[in-house]
Amino acid sequence: MRVPVTLKVALLTVVATAFYTYVGQLVPQKEVHPPEVVEMSADLTTADLVGIGEEIANGKGLCFTCHTVGKSGALRFPDLDGIATRAETRIAGFDALTYLAQSLYDPESYIVEGFAGGMPPISKPPIGLTDDEIRAVIAYLQTLGGQATVTMDTLIPFSAAAPEGVPMAAESESGESEPPAETSEEGAA
Amino acid sequence: MNWMIVLPVLLVLAGLRFVKPSMLGWAAAWWIAVWIIMDFGFAVPVPKSVVKEFLGIVTLALAAYVSSDPQRWAEVRDPMVAFLTERRHLPLLGLVAVAIPAAVAASIYLEMTAPAQAPTFGRTVHPAPPATLTVHDVTHDMQTLDNPLRSLETSDPEAFAAHLEEGRRIYYENCFYCHGDLMQGAGMFAHALNPIPTNFQDSGTIAMLQESFLFWRVAKGGPGLPEEGGPWMSAMPAWEQFLSEEEMWEVILFLYEFTEQRPRALHAASGGEGH
Amino acid sequence: MKKSHLLIGLVVLLALGGVAAELATFMDERLAYSSPLAADAEHAAEPTPRELALEAQAAAQAEEDANRPYEEEEYRAFPKIGSRVAVWMVAQLHLLFAAFVLAVPMFALIIEFIGYKSGDKRYDDLAYEFTKLLSTSFSFTATLGALLTFLLVALYPKFMNYLMHVFSPTFLPYTLLFFFEAIFLYSYYYGWHAFSKRVHLLLGLALNLVGTAIMFIANAWLTFMTTPAGISSTGARISTWEAVTNYTWMPINIHRIIANVAFGGSIAAAYAAFQFLKAKTPEERAHYDWMGYIGNFVAIAALLPLPFAGYWLASEIYAFSQTMGLTMMGGAFSWLFIIQAILIGNLFLAANYYLWLGMGRIEGAERFRSYIKYLLIVITGCFLVWATPRSILATVGEVQAMGGSSHPALGFLGVMSAKNTAVNLLILTTYVSFLLYRRSGRIPTVAWAKLGNIVQFAIFAVAASTVLFFGIYGYFVEAAVRIKFSIPQVLSVLVAMVAVTVIDIFLLRGAKETETRWGQISNTSQYVLIFLAVTFTWLMGLMGYVRSGLRQHWHVYGVIRDTSPDAYTPTLGFATQVVSVTVLIFFGFIGVVFWLASLGGSHGSEDEAAVTSPSLAEGET
Repeated sequence: MRVPVTLKVALLTVVATAFYTYVGQLVPQKEVHPPEVVEMSADLTTADLVGIGEEIANGKGLCFTCHTVGKSGALRFPDLDGIATRAETRIAGFDALTYLAQSLYDPESYIVEGFAGGMPPISKPPIGLTDDEIRAVIAYLQTLGGQATVTMDTLIPFSAAAPEGVPMAAESESGESEPPAETSEEGAA
Repeated sequence: MNWMIVLPVLLVLAGLRFVKPSMLGWAAAWWIAVWIIMDFGFAVPVPKSVVKEFLGIVTLALAAYVSSDPQRWAEVRDPMVAFLTERRHLPLLGLVAVAIPAAVAASIYLEMTAPAQAPTFGRTVHPAPPATLTVHDVTHDMQTLDNPLRSLETSDPEAFAAHLEEGRRIYYENCFYCHGDLMQGAGMFAHALNPIPTNFQDSGTIAMLQESFLFWRVAKGGPGLPEEGGPWMSAMPAWEQFLSEEEMWEVILFLYEFTEQRPRALHAASGGEGH
Repeated sequence: MKKSHLLIGLVVLLALGGVAAELATFMDERLAYSSPLAADAEHAAEPTPRELALEAQAAAQAEEDANRPYEEEEYRAFPKIGSRVAVWMVAQLHLLFAAFVLAVPMFALIIEFIGYKSGDKRYDDLAYEFTKLLSTSFSFTATLGALLTFLLVALYPKFMNYLMHVFSPTFLPYTLLFFFEAIFLYSYYYGWHAFSKRVHLLLGLALNLVGTAIMFIANAWLTFMTTPAGISSTGARISTWEAVTNYTWMPINIHRIIANVAFGGSIAAAYAAFQFLKAKTPEERAHYDWMGYIGNFVAIAALLPLPFAGYWLASEIYAFSQTMGLTMMGGAFSWLFIIQAILIGNLFLAANYYLWLGMGRIEGAERFRSYIKYLLIVITGCFLVWATPRSILATVGEVQAMGGSSHPALGFLGVMSAKNTAVNLLILTTYVSFLLYRRSGRIPTVAWAKLGNIVQFAIFAVAASTVLFFGIYGYFVEAAVRIKFSIPQVLSVLVAMVAVTVIDIFLLRGAKETETRWGQISNTSQYVLIFLAVTFTWLMGLMGYVRSGLRQHWHVYGVIRDTSPDAYTPTLGFATQVVSVTVLIFFGFIGVVFWLASLGGSHGSEDEAAVTSPSLAEGET
């Protein structure tokens, strides 16, 4: 029996296509849904904020697309393990809260030594977290090497609610010219 | 690399040069060699998904090789055609005809009856320590905390030896049930625990940690682990309930002494790396 | 079966259908509910309460309809498959045909030019035969383009309105260029034997320029959606020109030109393969074997620089937004690139395989047979490295054994350093394969032949070691430095290929040529060509998906949100299914194109020249 060439070619086309479809089924199947705004009422406790913050960091915040927690070696972006401790001394004149807020609202001003930068402002699109969502993320970050202290009443520097000019503005001007404290430590991270 | 497996495979491949098998034999030998090396040749086993992917690619490559030349193709095709058509191979052919569906059925059966497994969680083995640590009502700053007995090593070797001896006693009275005689994390209770007790002989554990980190872990144990140390609580007791502060420092001295490791220097680095 | 039988069958079928319809109407009338009241003439004027209520309802509805305010609709739904899949498939089909229509004139013109310069009529005929595939494809492209436009306007009215806001000045030139494209294309095709060769070549050039310009304009729209520029933070237009020249516009332009040529070449090769398989005479086989070879040569020559263009595009995406870059390579789409690696690995493997099979038609190729083994080992090795995932799919036990999602040994192969190295070596090896093929039919006669060979070998060795060196060194430096390593890697490969080609041209000048027996090749090789075409098409579908899907839940990334029900990113499994269906539909269409092209009669008697061992002219390489 001679199979017509057209049929053979059609068969080959279908088989090759089916093979690639099959390959497509072997990889992890994940549907990514657009982020939804997290409703946050005023009576959330700090512990609630940490939980929400961790969820945001893992999900719509896209933090862990780049950052790691507890990894060492040749990293492309700073590891966040122990960030709460380091945040206190990173920039002269910035306390931990201000530094964390700065890193989220305006990440490109201070880049950890040894890294290339490139983090987008989290409050702006495409990630575009709300001020309260960033508050929750800060609460979560505080638990990495420290204790969460942020509450719903804490005034987050750089947020819309914060007064123009930012708390540490006066000191940060002098701080900018100084080399950030303990950069060697950051470089190792 | 698991050389006990890789080397023999390579030797067999080299040996085949003298036997001069047919092209079909060569192709089969290469395929099996790649399979054995991928599946068993690595010290840490390669996941099945990757083995399958690699074997698929190797199959394609071998098929391309044997069929890229009419002569080679004939060498491969003829024995197969003979096997399928000649009468004398009939019993074996029948066996193959039964074996293939049987193998498919078996693999499906095994896949469907595989026991349900818990989902994976990433567990941070050395989570970040807190900024401050309160043991026996004394609050320490983790940034500056160091083993108070460590300085004796140079200033008063005799007292240091005494503390070490004390550490040995404490270890064998309390720790060795889980962490084992040789500190390899293979004590008699170890097999019942998840996560398993830490292997101190591994250069990736205490050697890259500061003594203050060990002090935190010894004092607070499993219950004091932060969340990222989960999802299962470590069975390590909070030893501050059983030991004095000095005893804990002594046992830490002994850990380093016994494993011939040095603690990570206090100011070399803190923060992310190694934790 | 006779044709008359078919006709009778049709008539009977129609008649049966008619009878069935009649019967159904009759039964329906009999079963109809006949109200006893309605039959009663006395009560006929008095409506029942139900009828009154219905009347009132209808009146209310009519009044509401009359006063309903006009509302702008944001989205409309496409039945069954949804708006996104509908637009996705039509866009992909349109794109595939457009790519073909843009690519074929490019190499048809070059081949025609070679024929004109060398005076070899076979090349002219070949160019004409390629062009024959064009006219039907052009109509399909235009029709699918119109369908796509209607679908977009119907399904995404609000967003299309926004695009008009930014890009309205570009639409008129686009349409005008389409007119010119039609004029040049048909005059190029129908005027093949009418105009003087020079005028005809100029027509071809104009056709290519217009086609490229059309693509550039369309590229502006879609790259704008991914990497917007020239607008305010809320989307108001500031400058259309800046919106056109956004971050990824030029990279996409270049990437698409090259990819179109590769794709067009492979489709043309598939056409030749199909005709080869159907051919009855040795002459036809010889001709189509040669045509398939040229088509495939075009495809592979364009494929080699494509990864470089791809890297440029990717780096521009990173430069625009690191978030998007990482979504692509590390986030939701990272596994797509493993699928891509498998496709490209297949492409390289199949392309080399075709060359090796092709050695069968050259006398004296036996001396290179033993090299194939080593080439294959390198290609397979690179393929394996490229297809190694960074975070591996593993069961719980396996993850525990590995201590994480990456394998302590194989993890090294999953990172960029290893993959860049693999792809560069893959390109270099394929080039060597081609060189061997070219060499197999010729024995150099120049005095410095031996030296030339040594120099060529040395260049390859230096290039390969440069690539390897930077690949390994990349593990020891910071990411910022490592990224720059791809440049020396790429450069060394490019320089090596150019240098070796130049040496080879001089080396083989006046070489002793053995006979190339066109047509004496196994049928398998022709199926390989078709497989290559399917793989190219599928790959375009996949990469088209990632280019567009990368925006995730944005119409215009970071500016205009997609709020339709289709805003989510589907699973890769689903995406590959859509790609596959699209590819199959495309090949259905292409089957029609091939069929129509073959209706014009097989290539005429003028192609007899093809039988007499066409030697490979210099210009081909």
